[in-house]
Amino acid sequence: MDSVFVHRNQESAPPSKGALAGLRVAIQPNISVVGWPTEAGSRALARYRAVEDATVVRRLRAAGARLCGSTRMSEFGFGLKGSRAGESVAGREADAELVLDLMGECRAAGLRVGVCAYKPSYGLVSRQGIVGLIPSMECCGIVSESLDVVRRVLATIAGPDEFDFSLPEEPPPDFAPAACRPASTVGVLAEARAALPEAEKTVFESALEGLERAGFSLRELTLPDFPLFPLVHGIVGSVEASSSAGRYDSVRYGLRAPGAGNWNDMYLASRREAFGTVVKSYLLQGAFFQFERFASYEDACRIRARLISGMDLLLGQVDLLALPAPGSEPSDGRLREVCAPYAGAMFANVTGQPVLCLPAAAPGGGGIQLAGARRGDARVLEAGERIMNLLRRD
Amino acid sequence: MPFSQRVFCGELTPGDAGRSVQLAGWVDAFRDHGGLLFIHLRDRSGIIQVVFSPEIASAGVCRRAAGLRAEYCIAVTGEIRKRLEGTENPGIETGEIEVMASGLTVLSESDTLPFVLSDKAMTAGAPSARREAVSEELRLEYRYLDLRRAPMRDNLIARHRIFQCVRRFLDSRGFIEIETPILTMSTPEGARDYLVPSRVHPGNFYALPQSPQLFKQLLMIGGMERYFQLARCFRDEDLRPNRQPEFTQLDLEASFVDEEFLYGLIEELTVEMFAVGGIELPRPFPRMTYEEAMETTGSDRPDLRFGLRFVDVTDVFPGTGYAIFRRIIDAGGSIKGINVRGQSGRLSKNVLQNEYAKEVVPSFGGRGMTWMRAEGGRLDSNIVQFFKAEELDALRRKFEVADGDVLILIADASPRAVTSVLGQLRLHLAERLGLIPEGVFSPVWITEFPLFEATGDGGVTSSHHPFTAPDRTDFDPKNVEELLSLRSRAYDLVMNGEELGGGSIRISDRDLQRKIFAALGLDDRETREKFGFFLRAFDFGAPPHGGLALGMDRTVSMILGTPSIREVIAFPKNRSAACPMTGAPAQVKREQLAELGLLASAGTEPMRGTRERENLVDRLSWVARIGVDADERPAVEEALAWAEEMAAASARHAGMEEPVHTVAPVANRMRPGDEARRSELAETGKLLESAPEVKEGYFKVAAILE
Repeated sequence: MDSVFVHRNQESAPPSKGALAGLRVAIQPNISVVGWPTEAGSRALARYRAVEDATVVRRLRAAGARLCGSTRMSEFGFGLKGSRAGESVAGREADAELVLDLMGECRAAGLRVGVCAYKPSYGLVSRQGIVGLIPSMECCGIVSESLDVVRRVLATIAGPDEFDFSLPEEPPPDFAPAACRPASTVGVLAEARAALPEAEKTVFESALEGLERAGFSLRELTLPDFPLFPLVHGIVGSVEASSSAGRYDSVRYGLRAPGAGNWNDMYLASRREAFGTVVKSYLLQGAFFQFERFASYEDACRIRARLISGMDLLLGQVDLLALPAPGSEPSDGRLREVCAPYAGAMFANVTGQPVLCLPAAAPGGGGIQLAGARRGDARVLEAGERIMNLLRRD
Repeated sequence: MPFSQRVFCGELTPGDAGRSVQLAGWVDAFRDHGGLLFIHLRDRSGIIQVVFSPEIASAGVCRRAAGLRAEYCIAVTGEIRKRLEGTENPGIETGEIEVMASGLTVLSESDTLPFVLSDKAMTAGAPSARREAVSEELRLEYRYLDLRRAPMRDNLIARHRIFQCVRRFLDSRGFIEIETPILTMSTPEGARDYLVPSRVHPGNFYALPQSPQLFKQLLMIGGMERYFQLARCFRDEDLRPNRQPEFTQLDLEASFVDEEFLYGLIEELTVEMFAVGGIELPRPFPRMTYEEAMETTGSDRPDLRFGLRFVDVTDVFPGTGYAIFRRIIDAGGSIKGINVRGQSGRLSKNVLQNEYAKEVVPSFGGRGMTWMRAEGGRLDSNIVQFFKAEELDALRRKFEVADGDVLILIADASPRAVTSVLGQLRLHLAERLGLIPEGVFSPVWITEFPLFEATGDGGVTSSHHPFTAPDRTDFDPKNVEELLSLRSRAYDLVMNGEELGGGSIRISDRDLQRKIFAALGLDDRETREKFGFFLRAFDFGAPPHGGLALGMDRTVSMILGTPSIREVIAFPKNRSAACPMTGAPAQVKREQLAELGLLASAGTEPMRGTRERENLVDRLSWVARIGVDADERPAVEEALAWAEEMAAASARHAGMEEPVHTVAPVANRMRPGDEARRSELAETGKLLESAPEVKEGYFKVAAILE
């Protein structure tokens, strides 16, 4: 079996100071660290070594964290096929791991190894230096056993970045538990519940009981458009991915298929070899929407607007939302099978909401997702800590 | 509301006060004063303020008025009244009056505009709404909105006036307007033809006319005597900034006339056209032979708004001690120069030596430049010590040098190179030193063009076209040297360095025409093939005739002083010869190509990309430039079937919300620093380290063209 790490930091760790002094952080090879192989799991970046540090890397180092290495990842982090995300934390080789969350991968990775996984609000964490695929939805997530570590890492990497043109000028919110009004009401979406297969329903119900025991009052809410999240994600995500992947031209990096007589053939042949079948299917879906059904992108963006305001309204009625955890991927599958387990996770990428995925909300129970309003990260983490404390007491 | 009584906004005056009127147009701007609503109502004639006041208009009208937004199309009834003192708006022609509305009909509503149209402030002294320049591409995409703006409207109206002026004038001179075909044969104009495939005759093509040249001559043979047409012409040329693939020319031909008739006619017409734009042109227009233009300005379309004419000083230096000049003269070369009068203050030694001699002149293809500055009664230069006193004296006389003048000399073994470099330098200096006066128009006729130009293989080719009459007929069609000395009876009308048009007296004698074809190396069979129908007409008593064509887009653009000819064309193509509004040129269905027989005629291999279009996977694989392996196809096909489901679902569920493209506010950050600079990663070559192929410090790629 392949090792968890594709690259280990061999440099000796000097004693460090700062908010994260001594903390070991693993990353994926889609985050640039000068001199480290940064292939993002794709032949499109074969042999690529980063030439600049990503902003998150600079911030982690400045806070005293030690980057311990990068872990095996799926192609561009899309799905978890071939990925070993989370195992560095479960195996106690790292205190935290940064895992890109495109449709819920970070959360699914945490769940897989039984630790916490957190996807921050969109717009908090710089994407500069990160090999991305879906600019408007992807976010650097944090996997750790401790929510305190998650909070400290988040506080370190969050905030405006003059090098990330897409990051808003908003100053990062205070993530300290004291900085927020703790959550008391948690909403449960009838549509999310209804979508669960019978077998998983009991698991979810037991998780909800855990929440009640932790002192949260539950309210059933409804968002009839909830089933449209995967649709919006599928269209917007694939269109953005197909645009993002335009850069893999076999000129500046990656593979060059030999023998192409001209520019077009060079593209066709190199990109034929560069992308795996799942990513290729996804990129061609994006091309389909752009070249054959352009109205669908605009339509999806309209639905996205409706979904965002729908979620906003719900979070005006309750403090947090509880949703079932994402399912697990088949080891080998086509695009549709790869995406299916994330159907209940994609909402947070579409709306940019923060989500905490806990491996269990009750002793022996299943995983659960806790979502807050965008930039309401402190409340989500605070609620998560209360649940974790309860579990520990039990 | 019937429109029979409608009056025009811009035509109302204070004299109309008290009058009840019916108006229709667009909401240019609106201003809500709590209960009192003001709008600027705009039609083609101008803008007038309309006031909706609850004291005059019914509650229903006021409520409808409150819902008005920019560019709603509306009809209004009301009464004209003088504005209260102090509320006049001198920014609009009707600024002293307003309409007190009593009725309002919304004829049609408008979506939010892609760019602001209104450029008139609603109150005196207030800034107008239009602040940001709109990109031309966006203007062209929504040209119908752009046309609502005053500058475009005024340009098109002025263009119409100029065209009407042409028609009136030529009609009064006995010219009749006749249309010639658009679907025609390829003509010998030198540019590429736009071809139109014939469905009825598969594999055969019409050509769109590059000009109606052959038809207008045939009209003369047809006895029409005086013809004109505002003709649409088509040329498939390489992209150039101020060119359009289709353009309008005034095409004109007359029988039993000579050059003097045409000069007089066109000068009068040009004077009238420019008068439409308020520009007075003095007559007669000066004339200059091609040779003189080339020898003194280095151009066959000289800009005569400023001097800087060339002076030949080769004969000043026959036995000069300056070795460079002597070698050039010995090699049969020439030395010419220009006197840049009174500019020694701005053309310092440093500028002349380091900028002009080292950079500007070499960029024009010059191999060297000599400069002299006149100061304290003497000529100063870095090489002045090589010249004899009498040589310097002769220069001072020839250039009529005064203190403060700067002489620039170009010497080259090729006299043609001298005029070419000096010609570019002349324009460069005039531009840089601000020697081109504003508002001045300098027309000039350029005459006596060479009839032939030498081809590379020892033959000749027509400089104009093979129907242009030569200045004499007694030449030997086999003597190339004599052919190259022939002048044509062609003429160009040049204004401010731009060619507005040109024409010639044509050959009407069939023997002379045959001689010209012989000179061009075309035998009887070839000429019959190329021009058979045309030459046959000359066998039936062709009258002497001549004519001219004027580029109307360029002429109107010059009269109106617009930055490009696109500003005087309602629906122009952009710089890439495409139409952003309609999307032309566009691909057509394969069936359409098949019906026209084009799939077969392109050879055995169908056009690149057409076969890929047959199959969805192939089509997308081609546009995305991602090859798909055979064993991947089932997976990709499944993904695309799913995408099709998603597209249908998104159409079903799309509501009316404004689309959201990002969930966080957009920062629009600029990279820090205010200067463009090379990345350090490029400087150090680090950027290249992960590249699959590198050559001499660059990324290596496959050839771009096949």
